[in-house]
Amino acid sequence: MKWFLIIVLISAIMLIAYSVSEQYRDKFDFYTNLKLFLQQFKLNVSFRQQKINEFLNTIKPKKQFKLFVEDYKTYLKTNQLNLTNIKILEPDEREELSRLVTSLGNHDAKNEVHQLDGFLATLELNLTKATDDKNKLCPMILKLSLLFAIGLAILLI
Amino acid sequence: MLKDYLPRDIYNLIIKNFSFADINEIRMRANENLIIVIKNKKYYLKDENGEFVKANTNMIENFVRRISENSIYAYNDNIKNGYITLKRGIRVGLCGSIVTDGDNIVTVKEFQAVNIRIPHIVKNCSLMAYDYLVENNEVKNTLIISAPGNGKTTFVRDFIYQLYAHNVSKNILVADERNEMCSVVGGEPAVDLGGFCDIYTNCTKTFAFKNGIRSMRPDIIVTDEIDLDKDLESIIEAINSGVAVIATIHASGLNQLKKKKNFDRVLDEKFFSRFVVLSGDEGPGTLTGIYDEKLNCLYCR
Repeated sequence: MKWFLIIVLISAIMLIAYSVSEQYRDKFDFYTNLKLFLQQFKLNVSFRQQKINEFLNTIKPKKQFKLFVEDYKTYLKTNQLNLTNIKILEPDEREELSRLVTSLGNHDAKNEVHQLDGFLATLELNLTKATDDKNKLCPMILKLSLLFAIGLAILLI
Repeated sequence: MLKDYLPRDIYNLIIKNFSFADINEIRMRANENLIIVIKNKKYYLKDENGEFVKANTNMIENFVRRISENSIYAYNDNIKNGYITLKRGIRVGLCGSIVTDGDNIVTVKEFQAVNIRIPHIVKNCSLMAYDYLVENNEVKNTLIISAPGNGKTTFVRDFIYQLYAHNVSKNILVADERNEMCSVVGGEPAVDLGGFCDIYTNCTKTFAFKNGIRSMRPDIIVTDEIDLDKDLESIIEAINSGVAVIATIHASGLNQLKKKKNFDRVLDEKFFSRFVVLSGDEGPGTLTGIYDEKLNCLYCR
């Protein structure tokens, strides 16, 4: 029974650690998808010129980015933007994203492309940070959690 | 239709006080009273307290954003020309600050005014003129004349439909430079023009006439709002190729038309054999006169 409880405890700690580290992975995925989205949208503005709504319907988003696309579509219908569903983002990141959403589509093609270049440059910084966090913090959280779990297990034995 | 674009409170006030079936225009000008035009009469929109409803720049900017589906870049060619066409043929004229790059217009920004023009299908409005314009199933080269907003486009649309209804089995090429006649959205015309029409939209008349004659083999070319200075050569080329031309032109009547550049040549060389004059005397599209190539009156009201 004692061993069983120790195994449950270690599993629980590792599960929590995994879900915490998963947030960093999700953020990295989110920014990677956002970058891809903006690059594709830039191509769209330069050539096909599909309207934003039509363009959003052509992409197949996953995970947190799916929430963003849904929020974007709601904004296009209602003019109300609510990005609070995207929990992985900090308030200032959400503000940046809402600026992006409300700015897209307000210009002629040439200026739209210039604006997208600006957003892509800013996004690159966020993506670099998210990549660093994912590469450094995820393994560290898992390792520290494992050490903590083993330490706790030793104390309990 | 406009429910999706107008601010909700404004839309509710409009439907409470007017019938959309009657409205010809809705005009919004920044910081001015919102105006509803019905049969050339202007009405101010009032709220529940009887106060005049004013438009503002924010309202106009939001409206333009909504009609462009938040995708100005996709509508910019139209915006540069001062309008956006919506479904069901509603046309929105846009006024604002013009952005230029040298001689080229880049876009329009800081919209100051919009004019929402709601088209009305007036069935059989061209029927009275039909027999003067079609003889033995051959359509005469016809110039339709009226001041802006007096029903030229409505008349032409109905005339095209009448050709179909009368079984005049001719290929009709519509050179709709400003997408006003057919209001094509997503490849589908918003109005029923019958089954014989091929439509070019958003292209110059020169392009439509030249390429259309080559590729679509039309018997009749219909075009809107010609400029006798710019478009006459294309029209002559079409007529000399054996294609009948039906065109409209802005002028309040024949006297004003005579003052236009190149009209002397039109008369001398008899390019058009019928002139139809419309006025707004009894509402848009009132048939005032039909004249032959020497401007003899065939029908005078």
